[in-house]
Amino acid sequence: MNDPMLRNIADPVTTEIVRNFVVSCAEDMNASLWRSAHSAVIYEGRDSAVGLLDADGNMLGQSSGVPLFIGAIDANVHHVMDYYGDDIAPGDVFIMNDSYMQGSHLHDVSVVGPIFFGGELIGFGAARAHWNDIGAIDPGTVMGSTNIYQEGLRLGPTRIVAQGKPIREWFDLLRLNTRMPDTSIGDLDAQIAAVRTGERRLSQLLDRIGIETYRAACKNIFEQARRMDREAIAAIRDGTWYREGYLDSDGAGDDPVKVALTLTVEGEELIVDLAGSSGIVPGSVNCGASQTVSLLRLAYKTMINPERAITGGSFETMTVRIPDDCLFNAKEPAACEWYFTGLGLLADLFISCLSEAIPERSTAAHYGDSMVSLFFSVDRERGQWMSIEATAGGWGGRNDGDGESALINLVNGSFRNIPAEVMETKFPVRLEEFAIRPDSGGPGRHRGGCGVLRRYKTLEDCYCALWFERSLTPAWGLNGGKDARGPKVEITHPDGSSEGPLKMRARPVAAGTVVETWTGGGGGNGDPKARPLEEVQRDVKRGYVSPEGAWRDYGVRIASDLVVDEEGSQPRA
Amino acid sequence: MSADIGGTFTDIVYQDCSTGACGAAKVLSTPDDPALAVLRGIEAAIPTEAAIDFFVHGTTVGLNALLTRRGAKVALLTTENFRDIYTIQGNDRGEIFSIRWNKPEPLTPLEHTFTARERMAATGEAVTPLETSDLDRLVKAVKEEGFEAIAIAFLFSFKNPAHELEAADYLRARLPDIPIGLSHRVSPEWREFERTSTAVMDSYLAPVVRGYLETLIGGLGDRLPEGRGLHVMQSNGGVMTAESASETPLQTLLSGPVGGAIGGRALSAATGRPNLICIDMGGTSFDASLIIDGLPSGSNQAKLEGLPVQMSVVDIHVIGAGGGSIAWEEAGAMRVGPQSAGSMPGPACYGLGGTEPTVSDANLVLGRLDGANFSGGTMALDRNAAVTALTTIGETFGLTTEAMAQGVVDVVNAKMADAIRTITVQRGIDPRDFSLVAFGGAGPAQAGALAEELQIREVIVPVHPGAFSAWGMLQTDVRRDYKETLYSFWDLVELAVLEAAFAGLEENGRRHLLDEGIAEDAIAFERAIDFRYYGQEYVLTIPVPNGTIDMDAVRKSFDAAYDRQYGHSSPENRVEMANIRLAALGRLARPDSAPPAPEAARPTRERDVIFAGRPLKTPVLDRNGLEIGDTVAGPAIIEESTATTLVPPGWNAAVIEGGHLSMTKEAES
Repeated sequence: MNDPMLRNIADPVTTEIVRNFVVSCAEDMNASLWRSAHSAVIYEGRDSAVGLLDADGNMLGQSSGVPLFIGAIDANVHHVMDYYGDDIAPGDVFIMNDSYMQGSHLHDVSVVGPIFFGGELIGFGAARAHWNDIGAIDPGTVMGSTNIYQEGLRLGPTRIVAQGKPIREWFDLLRLNTRMPDTSIGDLDAQIAAVRTGERRLSQLLDRIGIETYRAACKNIFEQARRMDREAIAAIRDGTWYREGYLDSDGAGDDPVKVALTLTVEGEELIVDLAGSSGIVPGSVNCGASQTVSLLRLAYKTMINPERAITGGSFETMTVRIPDDCLFNAKEPAACEWYFTGLGLLADLFISCLSEAIPERSTAAHYGDSMVSLFFSVDRERGQWMSIEATAGGWGGRNDGDGESALINLVNGSFRNIPAEVMETKFPVRLEEFAIRPDSGGPGRHRGGCGVLRRYKTLEDCYCALWFERSLTPAWGLNGGKDARGPKVEITHPDGSSEGPLKMRARPVAAGTVVETWTGGGGGNGDPKARPLEEVQRDVKRGYVSPEGAWRDYGVRIASDLVVDEEGSQPRA
Repeated sequence: MSADIGGTFTDIVYQDCSTGACGAAKVLSTPDDPALAVLRGIEAAIPTEAAIDFFVHGTTVGLNALLTRRGAKVALLTTENFRDIYTIQGNDRGEIFSIRWNKPEPLTPLEHTFTARERMAATGEAVTPLETSDLDRLVKAVKEEGFEAIAIAFLFSFKNPAHELEAADYLRARLPDIPIGLSHRVSPEWREFERTSTAVMDSYLAPVVRGYLETLIGGLGDRLPEGRGLHVMQSNGGVMTAESASETPLQTLLSGPVGGAIGGRALSAATGRPNLICIDMGGTSFDASLIIDGLPSGSNQAKLEGLPVQMSVVDIHVIGAGGGSIAWEEAGAMRVGPQSAGSMPGPACYGLGGTEPTVSDANLVLGRLDGANFSGGTMALDRNAAVTALTTIGETFGLTTEAMAQGVVDVVNAKMADAIRTITVQRGIDPRDFSLVAFGGAGPAQAGALAEELQIREVIVPVHPGAFSAWGMLQTDVRRDYKETLYSFWDLVELAVLEAAFAGLEENGRRHLLDEGIAEDAIAFERAIDFRYYGQEYVLTIPVPNGTIDMDAVRKSFDAAYDRQYGHSSPENRVEMANIRLAALGRLARPDSAPPAPEAARPTRERDVIFAGRPLKTPVLDRNGLEIGDTVAGPAIIEESTATTLVPPGWNAAVIEGGHLSMTKEAES
């Protein structure tokens, strides 16, 4: 530590107690939000993030239910500070959701509140949460939007509570611009309560240790986190790595969308450049710069000090450069509803680049997107019903083990599949099969994880919509490992005709329609010919690899009784 | 008599039915054959041939078999096209920032899973009949590959069990010696992965638990009345007979740690304090549980080794913090735990080769532990070793040995306070409305500081804090839980159907309790229903009064419970009922606990104890010299054989009714 005076004020014990405090304070804030939110997507899907920041807008402690929101909300605080300057008073609350300021889509609404102590501004609390409805062209999720005005109400930094007094006209304006006013305002109240929770707990701590000690401890925390990251980056060999891939489409047209990333390590610095990526596209896979940075922080965290808590000072060793005209630097009037689709690919590119630099943490690409299936309709008994789920897939093989199969994608975290017994009890849809998809994982010394098959049959007329991605750039292998299979969809109508659209806007399907969705696997890691015979045999026994796949991909002959034919198999590398 | 089998020690508590007097004994555990330590403990506690009317114990054999993966080799039978559901699990990610996380290893691998053509619809109608010839592969495999148990889990068996029963009959006729577990019996509740996981775990543990109970029954022989008195603590906080435990081995899984929470419930009734936070701090872990309005806070699902189990459990929150937690340095920052020195090598002061500084070392350096009189004088502590360990790490931070010791204790207290906040503040519960009950070897030394941190006004250190869990087990009832998934919108429920369903569960419960030897008039039932608002996933379990069900009143009590939990409710929204639940209780007659009689105590000593960096002359007393009504002003240290209680400056300790210590903070002037 550079400043002996500060060190005297906040000794290591106090610093550690404050560090534990900021993390647990953020968890308390998020628990408060989950406890009082009105929307299931917040209190069950955990589609939210909160943070406790210092007076300069530096993140001290955060808690995130969705990994994608890691390190995202400091942007909100900076926008509030830039817009309002000195015009911030105790008891004020600000709201915003603009995709170009905070990244993400308009469904994500952020709330920021200043924290005062002894009349002085000493920090901020912030809470972001997904609102079910923000007045877009479609209820729920929008597919096929081509500009932001179709996606709902846009809010820059906006004071909605002045010195503790809610500004009625702003609350009314919000109510008038959502299909679910009670739920949305309920969620907003929960977000405000979360910010107040942070303010209250911080005040209690400051009463005990005093503001000067707290500031000194925060400074120590920043310094320690910085030091840990610098040491980790310095240990990586210097170099420059480049990767690219393509999204199948932007959701509006059929053209592939290019995503490119260059990663440079120079001493204690890590630089990411997205030059070469597509410009802004007509469809809705554009993403605001703040959220792009947030995704890269998530990718960084998976590779650098992954076992350490995220506290202030993390990520300062990373510089991000995004070209002016780029889908990852969305500007008016670009559509942003499916902003996360490109981010899944971007994370894989980043992790592959670093995998070359850090071989002992090498991890191949994963299946890459949320792979959403939606069935809905209205009937007399149930009223409006909707079955919506993100589908699991395969993860990349690692330097030291196989990738996991049937696991939800990186940008999500807590999403679970809907059990057949719940789906069929509640909705007129039958799940006919849920199984590991054989041969979908990329072959390798360490095999990529497998995707899954979900086969649905509609029991009544209803609507169906789909968003599946990554068929052009399925999860790729590393170090001689092979690529995985991409996603596949097949819809068989009652008249026997069939089709296979990966993306489909909501449209009616008749009772008896069979919808089969296969998700992709993860990339393989290392030469498949080096995979031991008994591991290939076990994969065949478990149904991860077919007997044909064992020969085609691994050069291993498996007899019909699942015994390895050693003579007939190729030698192991 | 009760026995609590821990990792290091087995605690025995006994009570004389005529006087109510309690006593305790402690023997080393025998992990290879846990029954042995129990039998030795009984010898140590009551060497005479006195009959044992009632014997209950908390067993960790099931849990240990799970942790060490030494259960049965299980074959799983599922519906065709759903072979993979047990291995796929819930597909959510256990560590959301990790790309290298793996799912928990299933208890039986995919290649031991078999399928049969059959399918029930959500209505319970058979869409595809069971094809019994598909089971021949399983029969052949069991004969050739040495499976020890079969678990059957078909889709919608909770709605219509016909196919599970048919398959079991077919298999039993061909495999008469193999135990067969049926998912609809183990857990008649929806969600196929969770139910399958529950059924597999039950089959996996059954042979281990049965073998252990047989050893114990054999060893106890004629000391039990007609071989009937042996009981086992259940995860739900009730007890069951050894025969029942053999039938439902799953219920013994959390048998051990539950004793503390049940002791808390008895303490709550005995002392008239409805709300308690119970903390059990030993060498490696810190367990916290809640008593709210006199009842342990529970849940209807648990996760063990990452695998879900659908059963009623008492909620216990565990973090890695204890006397053995190690202090360490990282990038100039101080950390404490979660790594523990355990009992080997143990804290530096144990003198068993440990060199890393731990919480116990810090407490010794601060004068809070007595190096010469630790564990009732059975073990001497090496103060020099503790000083060396703390001095070394203190130098890296520029702290004196004493400041370092204080720091270790402060940091671990902050972590424990956070653990308590997790189960209170984060659930909307204010810890200031609670008394803190501290037990386990290390709990009573830290409780005062924890209470300060959480602004809790009273700390209770019960009689025999080191053996409190074993005492708790003596304070409970026979219990069995029943449930049924009965999904419907509440406004469409037919009252007659619902009442018939409860009556059916009650009939099962009554028959079971009569079989257990419970008298008709000692039987009671507690009903509950799982509710949620339409569109939600998770449910709240709402108690429902016995007798005719008032639909409107139940609906209102759901809204009210929702409001308590989440701070708002939606009386205008539709509500779904998911499951109905019934607890069948058999009340056991027991004497009230009498406090231990005061014994000859050593005279009060004095030593320097460091508080907030300053050494204070502090009196040290023996707890067994104190009588009801005595008060002790802090700072003071109260020693007994299983624990050391620290009364901080500004706090007073009083011996209350029952012999428990109540510490309260002086009102600030």
